[in-house]
Amino acid sequence: MEELIYKLKEEIIDVLNLEGMKPEDIDENAPLFGEGLGLDSIDALELIVLMEKNYGIKLKNANEGKEIFKSIHVMAEYINEHKTK
Amino acid sequence: MTKIVVTGIGIISALGNGQEETLRGLRDGKTAVGPIRILQTKHHELPVGEVSLSDKELRQIIGMPASTATNRTTLLARVALKEAIAEAQLGPADSDAIVLISGNTVGGMDKSEQYYRDFQQNDNRNEYIGLHDCGSCTEMIAKEFPGQFKFITTISTACSSAANAVILGANLIKDGTAEIAVVGGTECLSKFHLNGFNTLMILDHEPCKPFDAHRNGLNLGEGAAYLVIETEESALRRNVPILCELSGYGNSCDAFHQTATSPNGEGPYLAMRQALQSSGLSANDIDYVNAHGTGTPNNDECEGNAMMRVFGDNMPPISSTKAYTGHTTSAAGSVESVISILALKHQFIPANLHYSSPIEGHSFKPVTEVRENVPLRHVLTNSFGFGGNDSSCIFSAYQKTNVCGQASENGIQNSEFKIQKAEETAHSSQLIAHSSRPTYIRAASQISLQAPLSEQWFDKPELPSSLNCDSQEANYSQYINPMAARRMGKLFKRAIATAVDVLHKGNCEQVDAIVTGTGLGCIEHTENFLHAMLDNDEEMLSPTHFMQSTHNTISSQMSLHLKCHGYNCTYSHRGTSFDSGLLDVLTQMHLGDIHNALVCGHEEMTPAYFRMLGKIGYWKKENADEEILRRHDSKGSFSGSCSLNLLLTDTPAANNLCAIRGMEMLYKPDSPQVDSALQRLLAQNNLTFNDISAVVMGLSGDQANDDIYLDFAHRQCENTPIVWYKHIFGESYCASAFGAYVAAVILQRQRIPAHLLYTPVSTDIRPKYILIYNHFQNKDHSLILLSSC
Repeated sequence: MEELIYKLKEEIIDVLNLEGMKPEDIDENAPLFGEGLGLDSIDALELIVLMEKNYGIKLKNANEGKEIFKSIHVMAEYINEHKTK
Repeated sequence: MTKIVVTGIGIISALGNGQEETLRGLRDGKTAVGPIRILQTKHHELPVGEVSLSDKELRQIIGMPASTATNRTTLLARVALKEAIAEAQLGPADSDAIVLISGNTVGGMDKSEQYYRDFQQNDNRNEYIGLHDCGSCTEMIAKEFPGQFKFITTISTACSSAANAVILGANLIKDGTAEIAVVGGTECLSKFHLNGFNTLMILDHEPCKPFDAHRNGLNLGEGAAYLVIETEESALRRNVPILCELSGYGNSCDAFHQTATSPNGEGPYLAMRQALQSSGLSANDIDYVNAHGTGTPNNDECEGNAMMRVFGDNMPPISSTKAYTGHTTSAAGSVESVISILALKHQFIPANLHYSSPIEGHSFKPVTEVRENVPLRHVLTNSFGFGGNDSSCIFSAYQKTNVCGQASENGIQNSEFKIQKAEETAHSSQLIAHSSRPTYIRAASQISLQAPLSEQWFDKPELPSSLNCDSQEANYSQYINPMAARRMGKLFKRAIATAVDVLHKGNCEQVDAIVTGTGLGCIEHTENFLHAMLDNDEEMLSPTHFMQSTHNTISSQMSLHLKCHGYNCTYSHRGTSFDSGLLDVLTQMHLGDIHNALVCGHEEMTPAYFRMLGKIGYWKKENADEEILRRHDSKGSFSGSCSLNLLLTDTPAANNLCAIRGMEMLYKPDSPQVDSALQRLLAQNNLTFNDISAVVMGLSGDQANDDIYLDFAHRQCENTPIVWYKHIFGESYCASAFGAYVAAVILQRQRIPAHLLYTPVSTDIRPKYILIYNHFQNKDHSLILLSSC
């Protein structure tokens, strides 16, 4: 799990172009949206693409992301459970 | 107040070709949205509003031979335009007074996505390279008119493009630039934007349900529609039937988010309020609203909130007709204007299909069944686009103006209406005073291949180091916070930095309008999306790339950054993109509608696009030093990415750079037409050519291009110094912006440095008047007259 969380942080930094940020800077339990990392609805869509590309998880509705992207920890748990690659 | 009337309409959409089929479809109350038949894509799970005619069938309707290279956006437009100009009985005799303003965003993308590999790898499809941009479509559309348009231009503000074309046309008529305007928009379905909307996850996999609690997104559609608008006087003189009046319109920027509308619908609210205000009507006068109503959760909720703010407890009947046609994106504004006009003419209200229950918090229900025999006098239609570009237009039943200039009482008993009309008459006499006042360039800021955000180039220019010169970047971290900057391509950063810088230089906090010229928009993002779409077989694409690919993202990013709710528009008309934007702003300043504005030109060049344009003669082959450019004995120039922001104001001030005395735009003029436009410009200012201190021209080293300028010089200015600027700023669709910039700085500094002189003449003059002459491929021409303050 720890390994997945670290990898996920790296992927998020890369895909969302979070310049100057390192995996260590991100609190895995902090909210991704609003406070915390301060991401927005377009970032959520990018994360949906990331899950499909890297883990073979396809979401049908953008609303499903709301629960999954609560924090990196929650996201990693979801990926662990549903990944197909 | 100039009364503007509609004398012709033409339409094609999934509902059918022409007014009759459209009317029948609307009255039948059946959706025309269905499975994809013509578009080549793997996404057959998505229903669309596709025009049932193939490209071949569309060609037959307009008599275009199979050998002519074109695209579906153009074909749809020409079918609709043909109907509109026939109804308005326009012919060659009307030529001098007519302009064409057409909106589109997709341009030739249906062909580009098909031939993109060819563009990169071989020369088999080179004829389509120059047909990719939005402006090239308008040029092909213009050929449908048997006469000659005075000038043509292209608006690209995504899904509000066609509504903004209506607005510009009306303003040009009010200001006397044109007597008649053919206005509207067109868009074909493309794999590119189908996939793009799909990445935003706002496409419903079922037929869309506007304003329904369970709505789940939009269905894309395609189509085109055009309106012929003109002064009442012109219509009566031409003795053509008047369909209705264009009684009001408004545009505002939501300045909230690139793809989402603010919860209280501020932009839509302001656009509707402005439309009401300009029409002199009150909210209670509106008998039907044809809503934008796309069916996305965000739009319908926010638009509904905005309508509740405008209409309060007296909501008029409302319906979105997108469940009939799909969302025809850039054409939607005119498609739905035509639908509104048909509703007015035939006194019925089309249904809001597939609705069952209201959105939480909405106090209204749309009209769910077609209503016949409804007395309609005033219909408001909404069109909103990406970047919070929100427009509203009001069409009203025609009332003949009597000799005293007042609308006849027939049908209108509203005293409030009469009072407002009287106030407007008083206001219109002020407008005449406005139009005789000059406007000013307060400040300028540029990022180009010259030192950024400075005027070092004036005395220490840097010369091109390659045939594809990129801009020198500024330090953007002081202008844009890192969270916002991380998603931005360089064009957006340059636009924001120059916008902030020019406001600072001009000591101005906020503007009434932001108007951008960009021939191609952010091509870096467009290419990224196109590549990924082709490489990944339409799967797993980035929403960011799509969202940034629309041309008006530049303008909306500036609005977002400056929190500017004012007028917002984007012109994508090749070499006169900037000039079109300038004309728009000058017109609104003359009308007294705005008092200051940002007018800008932003263009970038990628290696791939540079290679493509190189294939069709845009660039020199090896070198482009000054001597070679001056020789102008071969094709092409060198490419320069460039961004320029000008701050315009109607207020005289000691720190203004110069005054703008007027401008003229022309389409495919012959030499006498250029000369007489120049004479008009001079005469308006009581000048003769001898008063002109210098002529700034877009000489670029391209043989055919420069011959036009030198011929003009031979006719007009044997002894007047010629100034050039493309030898230090490069060639691009927005390069003409730098002509105005160079002239403004010369007037402010009261000297012409030797390196800007094309002809070796004495320069110990103190420049008073400067003429700027630009043309693009001898088709689109512009003349701008500046003076020192």
